[in-house]
Amino acid sequence: MSAAVADHTRARPSGFLGRIAWHWRHDPKIELWICWWVMVSFYQLFGIVFVLMTRVMPPPRPDWDQARIVQWFSDNHTGLLVGFGIIFLVAGMTASSNAIIGYSMRRMSVSRAFAYSYIAIYSLSAIPGMLFAGILLSVGAMRPDRDPRLLAWLYDAGFLTFVGTMGVFLIGTLVWMIAILIDKNRVFPRWFGYLNICNLLTEFVVAPCWIMKTGAFAWNGSIAFWVDTGVFVVYTTAFIVLLRRMVIREDFGDGPLPDPS
Amino acid sequence: MTSPAASISSREAGTVARRPGAGVVLGEPDMWAFVLFECLIFASYFIIYMLYRMADPELFLRSQEHLSQDLGVANTLIMLTSSWLMARCVQAAREKKFEIASRQVVLTLTCGVAFVALKVTEWSMKLREGLGFSTNEFFWFYYFLTGIHVLHVLIGFVVLAVVVHQLRSPERRSQEIVETGATYWHMVDFLWVMIFALVYVMR
Repeated sequence: MSAAVADHTRARPSGFLGRIAWHWRHDPKIELWICWWVMVSFYQLFGIVFVLMTRVMPPPRPDWDQARIVQWFSDNHTGLLVGFGIIFLVAGMTASSNAIIGYSMRRMSVSRAFAYSYIAIYSLSAIPGMLFAGILLSVGAMRPDRDPRLLAWLYDAGFLTFVGTMGVFLIGTLVWMIAILIDKNRVFPRWFGYLNICNLLTEFVVAPCWIMKTGAFAWNGSIAFWVDTGVFVVYTTAFIVLLRRMVIREDFGDGPLPDPS
Repeated sequence: MTSPAASISSREAGTVARRPGAGVVLGEPDMWAFVLFECLIFASYFIIYMLYRMADPELFLRSQEHLSQDLGVANTLIMLTSSWLMARCVQAAREKKFEIASRQVVLTLTCGVAFVALKVTEWSMKLREGLGFSTNEFFWFYYFLTGIHVLHVLIGFVVLAVVVHQLRSPERRSQEIVETGATYWHMVDFLWVMIFALVYVMR
């Protein structure tokens, strides 16, 4: 690492490509920056696919009859297939997000068990929270002329697994929160530790969507979807910014992280 | 304050000195940021509740009559008492009466347990009457708002336990932690008063 740090002091060339080449060869934080940029790119792609292409967010109504559900699959046929095709291709990018968050916990003064637990939980969470929904809705979109009862089943299963399985994220958020609050290396500010409470409580708030078909607590409801999504966006934006700040502050030591210069 | 201040670890003391907003508010400024964000989230719940209520005021009034005002008042009194005890704890800690402060937190915690027990009793009474979560729109909000509040109370138990843990040892004592715990608990109290006013009292 000392050689790498010494390399870091070499003059950086001007020009965009020259700077990238220099970082690639000499920047000791290159792996962390790659993880951070892949995480940011994944969230951008996730937003484009789920909001603009597949029209899964905001979710359509859970109380539609079979004819309307068939119509929805037919209307979004191409978007669902292409959009989820992209998601299946890039789903592995979530590993970068888990890696950099796991790294943040390894940089804290807490047991390694926190990072390992978080990575394990969040790696599993992507299956019900994202991939199952993608598979079920893609299967529905593949043959819109299928029996309407089957399409309605795929529609319910797809949206329930997408919105209703947030509980699997709960323990992961709790693990990160505890790590932040007991950490002595000041990797994250304590307000972000407390913000984790808001995020983990949203996992409880979506639970009623398993029994409600209309209103504020249905899977497209003002509370179960809109308020929760608002909290999730604030939380995600906060941790993306704070992880970038962590990479800038990283000194590869094991004591408190220095403040940004 | 010399003794407890000296007992704060150097890491903690350094953090406090650098933290923006420290000294401007009681306890950690970070906790205040959390309280403000939580109040924003609850404000959105209350606005949505009011919109549903405005859409069908008759249903909400009829359903509200099934709630026990006595239990609601009892819960409010318990919560206000717990908040008062927590305020006394902060005062006692400031006066370096740590034994008394510790006792006040335990009493606050006891009030919290009584609050949750009463709330569970009330829920089970309603369920026995056949008034469940999916009965109608009023009961969606009744169970949701009181339920999410009870979750905050349960998190508050952990916060209060941390305060007791801090107070019990001279090495760990920190006025900031006591005030931070009190800030959280007062938020829980404040949210209950809002829920009580909107769900039980407002006609």
